[in-house]
Amino acid sequence: MPPSSSPEAGRGGRSVFFCALRQSGALLVLALVAALLAAALRPARAVEESAPPEVTWAQVGRWTGRVLFVDARDEAAYRRRHIPGALSMDESHWETELPEFIQAWHPGARVVVYCDSEACDASDAVARRLRRELGIEEVYVLKGGWASWLAAQKP
Amino acid sequence: MAGRAETLIAGAVRLVVSAVFVYAGIGKALDPAGFATAVSHYRLVPEVIAAVVAAYLPWLEVVCGLGLWWRRTRLGAANLLLLLSLLFAAVIASALVRHLDIACGCFGSTSAGRSLLGFDLARSLVLALAAAYLLRVELSSPDWGAPAP
Repeated sequence: MPPSSSPEAGRGGRSVFFCALRQSGALLVLALVAALLAAALRPARAVEESAPPEVTWAQVGRWTGRVLFVDARDEAAYRRRHIPGALSMDESHWETELPEFIQAWHPGARVVVYCDSEACDASDAVARRLRRELGIEEVYVLKGGWASWLAAQKP
Repeated sequence: MAGRAETLIAGAVRLVVSAVFVYAGIGKALDPAGFATAVSHYRLVPEVIAAVVAAYLPWLEVVCGLGLWWRRTRLGAANLLLLLSLLFAAVIASALVRHLDIACGCFGSTSAGRSLLGFDLARSLVLALAAAYLLRVELSSPDWGAPAP
């Protein structure tokens, strides 16, 4: 395995290939051991984080009770237009926007987070943070996001 | 003179590549849940696989980044880092092609803004080139039968 100045080291491509393979294999195993150790030493969480459930605009329309919408797009998009009553919670302004959310939310209210469309992850990230940091269970991601709400507004 | 210059250049490249991968790996290892979320956003693997990747990949980056500094693992480390960089580039490119508006997750989950995926793709390709260079330097060394300078 170790390189040496013996004649075997100069045998050519084949020995270099197998040596690279052995070294790579050793590193892969070492990384696996480190990962397993880290997993074993990590404190167990009471509740493992799972993906926030998705809801369609049609499903939201059938809900009774209060629904608090959270706009996870950037501030410029929010200012141009947003779902009426929605709060802006851009992840980059989390600390300044969180108090407004806490003031607006009350136990029992469902929270629906949206971003541009189905191809963005900002709503998922904001929804996970709300669940993790505030312990709110009823947080959902709007499937299709802003695009789906716009489509629903057309006659 | 040329040999000394190449030794210095190789040393500098090794330092940068090692630092980037060790830093990236530690950042992700400290928040595996956040990294698993970032992996799942690429929509390439189920969440279970994303969790496994998130638990293992950061440690592979750290081990390979450090492995560049030991003669007995340098060849394997450069080899794996080249493959990892190409893999990252392919994954990021797939997100760009599918017009996904997501964070790279390259240095762990962060709420302090996100870089453009195009920039992340370029960075991965540069790292791949650097790893390929280190691999070439290693294979050119007398340890592997190349004539001594």
